Amino acid sequence: MSFLSPLFLLGLAALAIPVLIHLIQREKKQIMRFPSLMFVRQVPYKSVQRRRVHNWLLLLIRAAAMLLIIAAFARPFLRRNDVPVVPGTGARELVVLLDQSYSMGYGDRWDRARTAVRNALAQVGPGDRGSLVLFSSNAEIAVRSTNEQGRLSGAVPTGAPSAGATRYAPALKVASSILAESTLPRREVLLVSDFQRGGWRGQEGVTLPSGTTVTPVSVTNAVTTPNVAVTSVTLTRSTFSNQERVAITAAAVNRSEQALSGGTLALEFNGRAVQSERLDIAANGTASVAFQPVTVTGANMRGVVRVSSDGLPLDNAFSFIVSPAQPVRVLLIDNGATGNLYLTRALAVGDSPRYDVVVRRPDAVTEEDLQRAAAVLVNDVNVTAALGRRLSRVLERGGGLLVVAGARAAWPSEVDVLPGTLGGPSDRSRENEARVGGLEFGHPVFEVFRAPRSGDFSSVRFYGYRTVTAAPGAQVLARFDQGTPALLERQVGAGRVLLWASTLDLSWSDLPLKPVYLPFVHRSMQYLASYREPAPWLTVGQVFDADSAGAGSGQRAAITPSGRRVALDDEGGPVLEMTEQGFYEIRQRPGQSGESEAAVVASNVDPAESDLTPMDPKEIVAAAMSNSSGIQGSAQAVPQTPEAQERSQRIWWYLLVLGVVLLGADTLLSNRLSKA
Amino acid sequence: MSLLAGHQPAGVPGARFMDPVVLARIGNLELVARAVCDGFINGLHKAPYFGASVDFAEHRGYVPGDDIRRMDWRLWARTDRYYIKEYEAETNMNFSVLLDVSKSMDYGSIGITKFDYARILTACLTNLVHHQRDRVGFVAFDSEVVAHVPPSAKHMDTVLHTLDKLQPGRPGKLREPLHKLAEHFGRRGVLVVVSDFYDDPEAIVDAVTPLRFRGNEIIVFHVMDPAELNFGFTDAQAFEDLESGEQMPVVPASLRKEYQALVRAHIDALQQKFSEVRIDYSMLDTSQPLDHALHRYLGARERKLRTRQ
Repeated sequence: MSFLSPLFLLGLAALAIPVLIHLIQREKKQIMRFPSLMFVRQVPYKSVQRRRVHNWLLLLIRAAAMLLIIAAFARPFLRRNDVPVVPGTGARELVVLLDQSYSMGYGDRWDRARTAVRNALAQVGPGDRGSLVLFSSNAEIAVRSTNEQGRLSGAVPTGAPSAGATRYAPALKVASSILAESTLPRREVLLVSDFQRGGWRGQEGVTLPSGTTVTPVSVTNAVTTPNVAVTSVTLTRSTFSNQERVAITAAAVNRSEQALSGGTLALEFNGRAVQSERLDIAANGTASVAFQPVTVTGANMRGVVRVSSDGLPLDNAFSFIVSPAQPVRVLLIDNGATGNLYLTRALAVGDSPRYDVVVRRPDAVTEEDLQRAAAVLVNDVNVTAALGRRLSRVLERGGGLLVVAGARAAWPSEVDVLPGTLGGPSDRSRENEARVGGLEFGHPVFEVFRAPRSGDFSSVRFYGYRTVTAAPGAQVLARFDQGTPALLERQVGAGRVLLWASTLDLSWSDLPLKPVYLPFVHRSMQYLASYREPAPWLTVGQVFDADSAGAGSGQRAAITPSGRRVALDDEGGPVLEMTEQGFYEIRQRPGQSGESEAAVVASNVDPAESDLTPMDPKEIVAAAMSNSSGIQGSAQAVPQTPEAQERSQRIWWYLLVLGVVLLGADTLLSNRLSKA
Repeated sequence: MSLLAGHQPAGVPGARFMDPVVLARIGNLELVARAVCDGFINGLHKAPYFGASVDFAEHRGYVPGDDIRRMDWRLWARTDRYYIKEYEAETNMNFSVLLDVSKSMDYGSIGITKFDYARILTACLTNLVHHQRDRVGFVAFDSEVVAHVPPSAKHMDTVLHTLDKLQPGRPGKLREPLHKLAEHFGRRGVLVVVSDFYDDPEAIVDAVTPLRFRGNEIIVFHVMDPAELNFGFTDAQAFEDLESGEQMPVVPASLRKEYQALVRAHIDALQQKFSEVRIDYSMLDTSQPLDHALHRYLGARERKLRTRQ
């Protein structure tokens, strides 16, 4: 039985009317004025309202009449096909989603999951079709839409789970695409996972085709053994008797209800144990262990921090790479007469990165100086045509050039690399001094000053600057208050040129005395030298770009931690997605006589995955099946004839008549009672 | 009492204090006050007119900062030590009644409203105090201060006149007017708060306590009608709150016990909380004579006099 107008059922609230009539209206008398109802109000409501019902029969008749009339208005009807649709008929399309994230390695989860998958696939009959999708942070189809038992059972993975983290949305999207192509009447999804809370972020826009049933199979078991993960390491560099040392601090987290005591946290370098520290972590606690500083002996030292074995082994090791810090090599061309004090002092400050500055007079610049410099700073110098051509060659091979245009600066017109033409000096020392405004905060040089209270360029006073006319193709990064460019940039070949239209010493401005000076010089040099801090490790799922990381050139191959050899340049550029945990070795000229190691990349599992907190599988099922509900029934409903429909809806008529009859009886009865 | 049978309130002035209902028929407050006080005082063994003389109390060692004029030089001559002479407190003091004239006071089930009862009480206390040569003052408040007569030895008539003119009309609040008044009563004296205290006990004590801060002695009179205490109604009917106008269907018989328990708990809570802050609290039933209230006042005044100056 259903209702055509169920909203009328709200009228059931009207049932309270006869009750109220019986309880209150009968007792209506004059109003009693009372100082305060404060205490009356505090007496529980029930006892205030509870009164004796004087005539139960009358009350019941009135309530029944009201009920019948409301029910009549709600138009009840009988549904002929109320029998539930049995979803067991017809061939079925089964998609099995198997979670192979590394958390499945906890306890016997992986074995139970594979058993569940095998059992499900074994039930795929000759008319059915089955698919197996393996997923972690992304999903891959192991076998697609087949009924061959051999292929299905052979696709179940035999090895350990992957190093990826759990993400349900990609797997459900793949399942959705497989089911959408299917023509079979029954569509089923079997989701085998440990249902970690971290793998689902609520509604992720995944909806399975209508009529699909999702069956979650949870292999979660209680977390009984300590589960400790090393989540990160911090490298602090220092120099000790001319040797670079690095102090390693490891952070470990215990993601279980059991405290760990007496564990060990070991530091290894290149496979050899270096130090070992005791580790005690409370339940759901974190700990941080600082190791003694280690001397950096060479490039690509492979470090591993390893915690003693526990329930989930894959998150116990944390790999990283330690290489000697690479300084930014700067060639400072200077007349010597003008002060380069502030510049050299500014570049002497800083550890990450360090600046290796070589100061040369314009006529003493050697070819070797230019070769080793990543960035050249021409500080208020009259550049000859010969020097200009040599500097342009630095730019061609990807170097950077900062030209500081003070009173003496000149640039040969035949070497067209500058972003602007130098004009005459503009003296602002006698009138209002100039200010810099209109900074391009999106540019890497000025990005650090973007946030409020992180450096104020407008406080710098300029007493003089060169009027510069921007060249076509040049970008103006900052302007003086009268609109002439203050800092310009231009791309030349693979390199970049910056032109600063004033001095970087005290002769034309007080910039060196301002807090913005040091970051400005540092950011300019880093930008020109294309300096990028090398990442000591990547996380599984991230992509390593060999070119931008400066890992060799030409043809390259990577050797994965499991020993597979992957060519880097096969498709889409020299990029490599981290899929395993450990060290990836990037080799140059693979298979040739001069094969050499270009770089080593450390890859770690996602630490968030080691949090084994489970979620309710129904949450995913509800989100994925939001489109499926109710469609099944209507698809199979048999259309009724108008007569049958009318017959099934005729009940309201009887209800209404009965209700009216009861009201009549009520009138008679109450009249008789009141007379009595 | 039989005297109250069939009387009409607000009648001709007369004596009110043998029975409050009878007194309520007397319009002249002064007359009422005098009748009651004289009768009351005659019954006391000890005269309530405390002496205006300055009585020596005790000696105390001199402490730098003490007034040298109060040094007992004779004692110094005998003992070669400095002593200060201490006296009983000054006898002429300030006395003010703070009367709640909110709408809820305008209720009476036995021929005298709580307001009339409180008014007579005020008049009597004022009269008594006036005869003791103390300064009398008066404040009427509901949600704000309605009338104010500053304490003075000559204000007895003004107080009675003001009292006579007052009519309860608006909903009341304790906190705002009392807090405002607390800043006003600078000189130490006796303050009498008369109200029906329809509020949370915490809030009431919180409202009254600041009056004590400057050393005033506080006496709190909680005026209640017998019907408010017993809830002796029989018919089920709608009850209307005098202040808020809210109406509520009530079957008195079914909630009488709970009501009485709640009122009892309210009074007990007030009693306890006021005693915690050392404020003298008494509940006055408007069917009872005023002797009790007057005794309370005299007791408090005596305590006040015992404080050293």
